[in-house]
Amino acid sequence: MSFSEFLNSRRQVCRALVKELGRSFAYVGILGSDVRSTAIRVNRATSDIGEGGAAECGFVIKMHNGRAFFEYSIDDISGDIPTLAARITEAVRTEQSLTDREISVPLPKDTPLVKSFERPCDFESFSDEELLAKCVEIRDAILAKSDKLLNATVALMPFTVSKLFISKNRELDQFYSWVNAMAVAVYREGEKMVMAREGTYSNLMAEAISTLPDHIDRLVTKCEKLATAKPIVPGVYDVITDPSISGLIAHEAFGHGVEMDQFVKDRALAKYYLGNYVASPICNMRDGAAATFSTASYFFDDDGVLAQDTQIIKDGILVSGISDLVSATELGTEPTGNGRRESYKRKAYSRMTNTFFCPGNDKLEDMIASIKHGYMLFETNNGMEDPKNWQIQCTAEYGIEIIDGKLTDNYVSPVVMSGSVPELLKSISMVSDDFKIIGSGSCGKGYKEWVRVSDGGPALKVRVKLA
Amino acid sequence: MRNRVINILKNTDGISDWRVLSTRTESTQLFFVHNSLETVRSTDTTDVKVTVYLLHDGAMGEATFSVYSSYDDERIAEEIEKARKKASIISNKPYTIPENEQGEYATASNFTSYAPASLAAKIADACFNADDMEGGSINALEIFVYKDTVSVTNSRGINKTQVKHRAMVEAIPTFTAGESVELYEQYNFTEFDRDRVRDEIAVKMREVKDRYEAKAPEKKLCCPVLLGAPELESLFYNFAYNLNFSAVYQHSNAFSVGDDIQKGAKGDKFSVTMCGAVKGSVSSSAFDADGYTLTDRKIIEDGRAVALFGGVRYAQYLGEVATGNLGCISVECGSLTDYEKRAAPYFRCASMSGLQVDIYNDYIGGEVRLGYYFDGEREIPVTGISISGKLSNAIANMRLSNETVTYESYTGPKCALLGGIEIV
Repeated sequence: MSFSEFLNSRRQVCRALVKELGRSFAYVGILGSDVRSTAIRVNRATSDIGEGGAAECGFVIKMHNGRAFFEYSIDDISGDIPTLAARITEAVRTEQSLTDREISVPLPKDTPLVKSFERPCDFESFSDEELLAKCVEIRDAILAKSDKLLNATVALMPFTVSKLFISKNRELDQFYSWVNAMAVAVYREGEKMVMAREGTYSNLMAEAISTLPDHIDRLVTKCEKLATAKPIVPGVYDVITDPSISGLIAHEAFGHGVEMDQFVKDRALAKYYLGNYVASPICNMRDGAAATFSTASYFFDDDGVLAQDTQIIKDGILVSGISDLVSATELGTEPTGNGRRESYKRKAYSRMTNTFFCPGNDKLEDMIASIKHGYMLFETNNGMEDPKNWQIQCTAEYGIEIIDGKLTDNYVSPVVMSGSVPELLKSISMVSDDFKIIGSGSCGKGYKEWVRVSDGGPALKVRVKLA
Repeated sequence: MRNRVINILKNTDGISDWRVLSTRTESTQLFFVHNSLETVRSTDTTDVKVTVYLLHDGAMGEATFSVYSSYDDERIAEEIEKARKKASIISNKPYTIPENEQGEYATASNFTSYAPASLAAKIADACFNADDMEGGSINALEIFVYKDTVSVTNSRGINKTQVKHRAMVEAIPTFTAGESVELYEQYNFTEFDRDRVRDEIAVKMREVKDRYEAKAPEKKLCCPVLLGAPELESLFYNFAYNLNFSAVYQHSNAFSVGDDIQKGAKGDKFSVTMCGAVKGSVSSSAFDADGYTLTDRKIIEDGRAVALFGGVRYAQYLGEVATGNLGCISVECGSLTDYEKRAAPYFRCASMSGLQVDIYNDYIGGEVRLGYYFDGEREIPVTGISISGKLSNAIANMRLSNETVTYESYTGPKCALLGGIEIV
């Protein structure tokens, strides 16, 4: 598999459209997307092969008239280019009543660069029959583990991404792939029903389908343990976070707060804390499509800016935010390659990519041993940011009680962690020396604009309110 | 494109049935930074999705793919053949797709009276008109005006089209007096009423001022919790999920028809009807993605599950009559009057980051960004707290308002008073 033939076939017309629109606009950039996505799912009762939710194919044209930005989304670029350019210009024309409100920001930089990027993909080595059979095999292996399992769903969700970016001075293309593999079990113990999930992910199908079976025992054991889980007694506790929850904190507590389009709107308190301590001095945090290899590891962003590795927190001090082309232009900074769109139909915003805390020097067993009474929290359920007020809500699937420095067999579920971001980050007292990135996530901005993200890190010892 | 695909499908051998679902979306979008217009967007895109059904060996398989505007006839035929092959390795229980209905529908909306760009500008003007509080501002405003044209055609004589108009406002009201706080507002609507848009934003502007003034309570609050329409929509959809044909067939439902959901209820018992349309809701529709005509169905009556609902496939698997995939929910009002509500202290959740409802784990809770503690005389703004409790306790001690409100895809009690929830 390789870069989209369709996008290749539209290079010439894209160049022509950039030139034609350039007569009216000072800056024109076109992003073409061709994302192919499949979802193979089997459970006890049904099986399906369909198109995955990420599939899209089309173009978005971004323009700047010397003051403000304009965008037009369209399925294809073809036909008479001057006519199309006239249609686009008319469609984005500012209403008379709003012209006085038009912002005035400088032109974005359009540094010359022509480059192609491609990552190996093995999806064509596997037929639909093979992948379906693998899902069935794993489903049957799960169901064979216990007669208390009501259902088991196994899913493979591969997608390939081709993107083409053309402006007056830049022509970039990239091709890469990713696959999420997931197993979900529904289990009943008496009156109590629980659902548990395990997943794996890779840019290679061979790796995803070979590692998913390793999670079967853990999945079923988790079901058995969750069936015994009780509600947590609300309160403030010493807590150890697993890499998934550490990543959720990085993402919700601080990641959204350093998206620099929020700086532009005065929506992020972080804007005023650059150069200041915002976390414990043993805390380091990074983000970037090039910061590690996971689901959000692209080569250039949806503004045609190359992927980067951005250090956000260095030894507890906030050192940088992350930006898309528009917010960087408005702030007079260099864009960090974080301009991302849900699809070609949507606007680009400053978005996280792979976001994580960096490893520290502590051993996980020492961290657990340091707690008299508390919890170790596992697995992201969901979270919600509040960048202006620095409040967070992060939900873990479950927690295990720690008593006298030892993990017990006492499970609690679900567990909602909430509170003040600075208090939480400054409470980080130990950071483990291991590290894991969870590459199957997706993230909205507010309650919309979903993009694929990863997050993770080491285990952290924090003090936080649980309910 | 749609007609071309249909013609090719009609002339394709080796498939049992087919369906073409197309959605054309035209939109105008405005993005403001503070009160300055940063970006103007316009979109005109069409999704065409084809599903191929194949009966084989006493079973049925299906596969769906998108048809892109760049596809020529040869490519479309190739994609149909690929889908046929995928369907041939899927062996599900057969079912019959909807048959022999045609129609053209349009949801009621006054959007047709305006040019989209002009309407977007009028909505922006209404929002900024509410930005009149000293210390208050709208730090970000996004306006989306959509026209969706949805068509479903299948091989069994379904041919339906519906035109829908919808708008969405996302606003970030902010209050600054030294320090600064904000709230999040998302408002969807199908009828433009300048005053109503203005009022929606104005309420949030007042609330954000309250958030600025709000403090964490000095002592633990012990009183019933009052939830509003956004939280009630989330709560009741969680119950409804368990009565969907699909959830039941897949064994992921926590309760079944006949079960008493509100065991030991001491307050109002709730009754829930799933609906195809709620006046003013952007989720309203005449038919679902299969082209099946939507029929309302009461699924919970007086706290007891009484019926299932859902689309044709899983309905047939369970031997039930389909309702179509219903997008709206209606809950019957209860007995709680405003006078009764104010007879004792309560804690009102005005803005939550999201209500967490976990029926499996019998949990309800979430972070409250702005709440009001009613001390018997007045509401005092409170922040920095969470609510948490056993869901079964909360709904057993629930009083539903006797006033109706419509919010998004929910119509029902304006608020509900829940007991047995901790405020921490």
